[in-house]
Formats: sequence, C-alpha cells, structure tokens
Amino acid sequence: MSDAILLERLGKVYVKRRSLREMALRPFARAERVEGLVDVSLAIPRGSIFGLLGPNGAGKTTLLKILSCLILPTCGSARVEGHSVTSDDRPVRRSIGFVTSDERSFYWRLSGEENLLFFARLYGLASAAATRRVRGLLADMELAEVAGRQFMSYSSGMKQRLAICRALLHDPPILCLDEPTRSLDPIAAKHLRQFIARRLHRDGGKTIVLATHNLHEAEEMCGSLAVLDRGRVARAGRLEEITARPGGRDHYLLVLSGGAPPPPDARWTVTVERRDDGTSAIAAEVDRGGPAFSDLLRVLLASGGTIVSCQRREQGLQEVFDLMDETGERR
Amino acid sequence: MKTLRALGAFIKRDFLIETSYRTSFVLQFLGIFMSVLIWRFISRHVTAPTDTPGLEGIDYFAYVLLGLAFYHYLSSAMLSFSAKIRQEQMTGTLEAMLLTTTSAGTIVLGSALWEFLMTSVKVLVYLGVGSFWIHFRLDSLLPCLVILTLTILAFSGIGILSAAFILYLKRGDPITYLVSSLSVLLGGVFYPPEDMPSWIGQLSRFLPITWALRALRRALLKGTSFRDLLPDMGILLIFAAVLLPLGALAFRFAVRRARAEGSLVQY
Repeated sequence: MSDAILLERLGKVYVKRRSLREMALRPFARAERVEGLVDVSLAIPRGSIFGLLGPNGAGKTTLLKILSCLILPTCGSARVEGHSVTSDDRPVRRSIGFVTSDERSFYWRLSGEENLLFFARLYGLASAAATRRVRGLLADMELAEVAGRQFMSYSSGMKQRLAICRALLHDPPILCLDEPTRSLDPIAAKHLRQFIARRLHRDGGKTIVLATHNLHEAEEMCGSLAVLDRGRVARAGRLEEITARPGGRDHYLLVLSGGAPPPPDARWTVTVERRDDGTSAIAAEVDRGGPAFSDLLRVLLASGGTIVSCQRREQGLQEVFDLMDETGERR
Repeated sequence: MKTLRALGAFIKRDFLIETSYRTSFVLQFLGIFMSVLIWRFISRHVTAPTDTPGLEGIDYFAYVLLGLAFYHYLSSAMLSFSAKIRQEQMTGTLEAMLLTTTSAGTIVLGSALWEFLMTSVKVLVYLGVGSFWIHFRLDSLLPCLVILTLTILAFSGIGILSAAFILYLKRGDPITYLVSSLSVLLGGVFYPPEDMPSWIGQLSRFLPITWALRALRRALLKGTSFRDLLPDMGILLIFAAVLLPLGALAFRFAVRRARAEGSLVQY
C-alpha cells in the first residue's frame, strides 16, 4: 500500500500582525511568532483511515488546511498523491476533499441542492453531470427529502452531512474531515462514523484523514494515527502500537474473595483495595509472556481465596494522554 | 469553457439569493424612479450658462442623469469586488470556494458579475425613465457599447485592486475611499471638471470616470462620431490595460500572502 500523503519535516510558523499601538510603542520589536506545526513527518497509507488526535490548538486544523492548499507551510514538504501542496496546488485540490468544522460555509438562503450545484460547477462539472452527482450524493447522505429546503433551516447534522456531500462532489481519493461529529448528537455522530467507515472507506476505497479530539471516535475508526501536541507529533503509528503498555507489562484487575494478597515478587506489582462486601480489588501489573500471570493466580488460589472476576485492562487513548501528561511527554 | 461554466454558476447563485429578498429586489428599481424624478426637479433650478465647458447646449438634467447612471458602474466595481470578498470571508464561503479547482481570479470576477449585470439593468432603467425628457442619440449605440466595455474593464481593475486590499487588510481598504470620493469630486458626475479651478480640474484627468463620462455624454447626447470618440476610447483602453493586470497581480499576491499568514478566512 503506497502513501497517499507524505509529510517531511513540515513546519508552520504564524507571525502575528502588530497593532498600530504596538508599532508606535515598540517600533523595532519583532512580531510575535507562534509555532503551528514543528518538524512533522508522517506517511499516510492509501486507503487507510488515519486519525489526527490532539487537544485544541495542537495543530490538527493547520495540518489539514496545508493539505488542502488553504495555508502555505513555512518549511518542509507536503505531498498529496505525489503532488506538492506549494507548487502544484491544482492537482492537490483535485485529489482532496476537505470538510471543515465551520457550519457557516454555505449560502443560507439557497437550498441544499442549489448550494451543491453551485460548488459542483466550481469543481468543473457540466450541468447534467453536476445534477446527477448532486442528487446521488444527497440520496447517499439521506438528504434527498430536504434537498429543496433552505440551508438555514437545516439541523447541525444535516449541515454536516451537506458539507461532506460538497467535499465529495469531485470524487476525490482523499477526504480530510475536521472534527466532523463535533456538533452532532450521539446517534447522529454514530451514523456519520458508520457512513465514513463503511461507505467512504470500505466501499469507496477512500483515504480518510480524520482530525478529532474525541478519543473514542479515534479508537473506533482509525487504524493508525498521530497524536499532535503543540504542533509536534508526540506519538504516531498503528493504534495498538500507540496504546501498547510501556515496559512489557500487562495490566489486570482481579476481584478476590477471601485469601491473602500475593507476596512481593519482581515479576509483578499489585495494589490491593479492600471493599465493603469483603472482597478485594487487586490491580496487578504483570510481566508479559512467560508463566508470571499463571504463577500469580496460583499464589492467590493457594492462599485460600476465590477469584470472583479477572479482567485484562487494555490501555485506551485516554490513558495514553494521561500518561503523556504524567510523564511530561506533553511538554 | 470551465471558466464560463463557473461564471454562469456565480450569476445563477446571486440571482437566486437576490430574488429570495423579493421586496428589496423590487424596491431598488423603485428607488431609480424616485432618484430620476428628484433630479428632474432639482435640475429645473440649476441653470448653467450655455457656454459652461462640457455643458454647451446640454440640459443640466441630461448631464447629471448620465453622470449618476454611469457612476453606478464605478460604485459596482468599487463595492461589488471588495464587499463580496469580505462577505464571503465572513461567512466562510470564500474558503469553500478556494478549495475547489476554480482559480482565485475567476472567483473574484464571478463574485462581482451579478452586480455588473444588475447595474447595467439599472442604467437602462435610468436612461429609459430619462428618455421621457431627454432625446438620446441612438445612432451612437456602437461607440457607447465600446466605451461601456472599456469603462467596465478599467473600473474592474480598480475593484479587484480594492478586493486585494480587503483580502489582506480585512478592513480599511484605501482604494475604495480614495477613488470613490475623488471620482464624485472631480470626475464630472454632477458638474463639469472644466468648470473647476484649473489645478483641481487637471487632477480629474487621472480618473477613468472623467473620460468615460465625457465620451458617453458626447456619444449619447451629441451623437459624436466613432472616429471623434477614438481619443477618449484610447485613454480608457490605457486605463484598462494598466489597471486590470495590476488588480489581477495584486489579488494573486494578496491570496498568496493570506495563505502564507493563514489569514484567508480571518476578518
């Protein structure tokens, strides 16, 4: 699988414009510079769903806007389907559809269909082809019934789906979505996620770049992702690589009735919490592989206890974020 | 072909939006009737000497009506490009349009097209209402169309330049302010520039509206021949040849700067 998007040491510095007052008070001072992206190198495989994860201000939208040729990078290179975003922007625009998180970006007094037809013509579609394409997309997104209604009467979910229709008008191989479920209720968000994963990715074969700060969404949808923090790639890789426990240990949560806590052992670390019902909750970190976990269970049973439940705890993205905070990985 | 398709889409879009405000759409034409009537009555009280330069043998009403009607073209050029770009910036539709494969130049041109079409209709209404009192020389239609085309091209250059300022500065476009006020003051909309102190009158030569109005009045009111109008047309052509590429270059530069700054949709 070759790369649909290739970023090499990409950087973006925003230079803040100085106000007249600042220029008068400090005429020779340098304008303030804000680093939007720093040294970002990523390869996004064709046909994948790639997540860009990070808190607000992490640089997700800046990165998507660079890929869509709305912002020029300050340094480094970004190639979309082999075309440079700085010197070859027309083919890049043909290859990419960008769904912004801005609900306003339509003509409110026009209907959904009229809006799409207008943008279809700007993508170069002839009249008949534009009508066919627009009607097809409206049907796909379950907007056919409201196609003739003015955009201003649409719900947030409808507006978001219409924005996706617009990004698909020219049938681009890559679709960039900037927090697509941000203003949707849970059910609408779930439907949209399913549509993206099934219709666009699985059936349509599109490469999806999804910027989100919703960890659950990223876990559910993305095969691989990059965690951005203050413009830098803090972690990148496949989901299981990012969420893998550091130090080669697995985490378990056991509930023990009776018996005694296990004795200290180099192969495990346990924290025991006595509960009101007489049971004990044991959080155990155990060496991965080998007999360590079996030995731990044997010790617990030998002490006369009964194991009520045993659960292996996967590390989620939330924990990755928490860990990054704790270890100072997030600067 | 693709450009024409895009321009057609802009006209259709603006027609649909404009006609969705039905009352406003009708009222602007009613406003023209009122304006013509007001100036008709004012002109009864303005009796310029018959040898006033630029007004020789012309009724003041005819003079001011043409001035007003064609000043609309300048206003359209000044306002439609910059105001549309600013409006599209504020609503986020500019970003959505710049994501498409249509060039920035076509987008800015298309944004103003409807306004120019509407202005042409309004000018026709002005002239239609005015023709109750004024005898227009319809044998000069061909030179009129040529002058009009050159005028629109020259004014568009200024309009695109002003849109470039808006894109970059967001507010406080100096071009609109300077050209609009100087055009009304010096360009011969309400009175002949020749009738002003000569040092001020000389400045009017640097404004395209001066030449456009002079040529149109000579063609429509006096029936001046195509050949005699060629010098005025030549000057308008020079204005268009300088201002249009200048506007296009400035707009391209402004888009590039806004992309580099990341301020394309800031307002």
